[in-house]
Amino acid sequence: MSRCVAKRRLIVDRLDPEADGDGDTNVTTQESATTLSFDYVKTIGIVNNGDNGRGFANPYDIAFRADGRIFVLNRCDPARAAAIRVGVLNLDDDYLYEFGNGHGRGDGQFIWPVAMAFDSEDRLYITDEYNNRVCIYDADGEFVSQWGEAGSDPGKFEGPAGIAIDSQDNLYIADQQNGRIQKMSTEGELITAWGDPGSGDGQFDLPWGVGVGSDDSVYVADWRNDRIQKFSPEGDHLQTIGSSGMGAGELSRPSGVAVDSDGVVAVADWGNERIQVFNADGSFAATLRGQATVSKWAADYYSSNPEEYELRLISDLTPDDLPEHLQTPYHTSSQVEPYFWGPVAVRLDGEGRMYVVETNRHRFQVYQKSS
Amino acid sequence: MTTTTADVALMAHLMRRAGFGATREELEDKVARGYENVVEDMLNPSGDRQNLPDDLIRRYHVEHSELRDLAGAGANWMYRMITTNQPLEEKLALFWHSLFATGYAKLNQARALLNQIDMFRRVGFGRFNDILVELSKDPAMIIWLDNNDNHDGAINENYGRELLELFSMGIGNYTEDDIKEASRAFTGWTLKNAEYMSMRAMKDSIWPYSRIAWHFEFREHDHDTGEKVFLGERGEFDGAEIVDIICKQEATARFVCTRLFQFFAADEVDEEGEAAIEQMMASYFESGYEIRSVLRTLFNSEYFKSEAARYSRVKAPVETVVGAVKMAGTYRQPTLGVNLLASQAFYMGQGLLQPPTVEGWHEGVEWIDSGSLVERVNFAAKELGDPSNPGVRAIVDRLARDGGSAQSAADIVDGCLDLMGPLQVEDITREAMIEFATQFGDIDLDAEESVETVANVMRLIASTREYQLA
Repeated sequence: MSRCVAKRRLIVDRLDPEADGDGDTNVTTQESATTLSFDYVKTIGIVNNGDNGRGFANPYDIAFRADGRIFVLNRCDPARAAAIRVGVLNLDDDYLYEFGNGHGRGDGQFIWPVAMAFDSEDRLYITDEYNNRVCIYDADGEFVSQWGEAGSDPGKFEGPAGIAIDSQDNLYIADQQNGRIQKMSTEGELITAWGDPGSGDGQFDLPWGVGVGSDDSVYVADWRNDRIQKFSPEGDHLQTIGSSGMGAGELSRPSGVAVDSDGVVAVADWGNERIQVFNADGSFAATLRGQATVSKWAADYYSSNPEEYELRLISDLTPDDLPEHLQTPYHTSSQVEPYFWGPVAVRLDGEGRMYVVETNRHRFQVYQKSS
Repeated sequence: MTTTTADVALMAHLMRRAGFGATREELEDKVARGYENVVEDMLNPSGDRQNLPDDLIRRYHVEHSELRDLAGAGANWMYRMITTNQPLEEKLALFWHSLFATGYAKLNQARALLNQIDMFRRVGFGRFNDILVELSKDPAMIIWLDNNDNHDGAINENYGRELLELFSMGIGNYTEDDIKEASRAFTGWTLKNAEYMSMRAMKDSIWPYSRIAWHFEFREHDHDTGEKVFLGERGEFDGAEIVDIICKQEATARFVCTRLFQFFAADEVDEEGEAAIEQMMASYFESGYEIRSVLRTLFNSEYFKSEAARYSRVKAPVETVVGAVKMAGTYRQPTLGVNLLASQAFYMGQGLLQPPTVEGWHEGVEWIDSGSLVERVNFAAKELGDPSNPGVRAIVDRLARDGGSAQSAADIVDGCLDLMGPLQVEDITREAMIEFATQFGDIDLDAEESVETVANVMRLIASTREYQLA
């Protein structure tokens, strides 16, 4: 008995993330074309296999409040769909509470939730690409209202995906199957819309993520066109960033986009399993491949499963000997645990921090911008 | 070239066996291309295979992207089978999966299983020795048959035994010593981080960040380089050299050709079938053990093309599900509930990626029992009896195009039997269906009520004994 206790204490001591070393050696995780860089801060998360509590279930988006609360949207796979929810935590790994009305078509329920954003009144707008609507909760988790219906007429949706809210509380929603962006009021009234399916300027092919700049310009992850498009708040096409490919500054199925006050654009380059960062002029700035470490919640797991951790410590979790047929971004990320795998969303808080949400790894990685 | 009913019937037979069925329009296109050209096209898949690309699937189905457990894995393969434009590649992968049956229960690693299926796509038409070497390096197979516990000086015979008994030669063609010597040759063939990965598999651990996928690792220090005596040959053989010796045995040729024959041609081997197998074995040796050549011989054989070979196999559950879905035109896009397709095949007795044992499934008439038959009939009848499904609507349109909108009940029954096969049913069955269709009055295919009638006739056909056969 005493041996077990002693062993367990040893493991806990070694679980200091600084000492763990996962992903912080032997892996080139960042490359940068400028002095701009993003320093790895920490990983928060663990897979949640149940219906509630600490951890995530296929997270799809993240949002913040000024008081430090972090909101994570759990899309959940079909086996856990009954517990679709938003989890609330802080940067110190404290899991605070969670909310949601579950799976379905009822009030405040979700089937395929995609993205979320806060308005200035602390209300959280969550899109659902299956139910073709937006559900609204307050920051304490009380259901407020919902609006939206299926269709191609103005104001209706065919798969609402990404969402962002500007300084005037205008909502910008990627209406994916209709190939357009709809600018709506908080009450669900259409203000304007632009775009149609296609690959020209101002056209979209299944758009996903949306972000807004400090000047309320609108950035759209034009998913199947492998590019980011920038628009004025009125929908005038201003800029196209990125093109198809795997090289620096190229994109494959971008799913998320975020912009900071300097105009730096971070893109969840989903198909390449990485983050691409661009300068305000659209030039390439940096690539992040991911460098996750053992989170606080993961360390807690290992403290009660020391034998598993012992074997983990003698393993090479950043293998560089994959056979040729597995040398794709997806397969590499499935084998190299510190790398991003399924980076569906990237968001920036007001403190220069970047958050990368990985749906396949049930965690997010935090980076601090420095320049 | 004039398309004849006989041409269409032969092409339909080929597409049921080498694929999962085809629409009448597809059959007519293929008839125009010519039978042997179609065989050649299917034996040499090229270009983009998927009409429903992976990125679209993964965007909507997180469980198909992560593959934490089995739920999405079987359905992911179903999507491939339903939407592929190279059906023989998928059908052959299903054959290899049946022969080299590897199951989720021991692995707890769905990605590794789908990677194994990918391997079957990659090398499945190639030389049998290459296939067996890739199989021996496959991490899912390594864990499944314990080759990660097969060490220099302390062999584990599990893989060596099944390689000879179930995967290549069949019992009676080797000795216990051959098994030991083969096992020695595969020592050190393991997977990366084998100790950690096998513990995670054993514990079904998803912690902390879901599964970590697997890849092969050769541990030279754990490999027995000593001399071995195997099937009468002596040398310092490694695994690949053992496989080379296996593949040149007549027993191996007979084994793999017979299994291919039973999967693609007929459940039972009769005298004519035996002659076809002999031809396949000759192709096996002439081509340097190439599966593509063996299949070419089979599909172009008089035996395969004969009337007697048609509808002589019981459809496997996966064929039943995929065939009905393809005909109904459903699941062409990411669809909520797709995972239930894999569950349906499981209820019928064939859970993809979860074979009952290392011996795979018992096929043929053993697919049918009272419970599985109800599942088969209910599933196909539901898919094909729904007039809102695009494939059902296409059959209605085709009936109207060929025969006009006003048709008799007998015309509708015969037309549906033709377009769903062509399928021949017993007279008593046909008459019962005509009587059924007659009760709805005059048929006008421009009217929605008559579309319902056609869908109901299709539902009845999907319930017949004949529809259960391929």
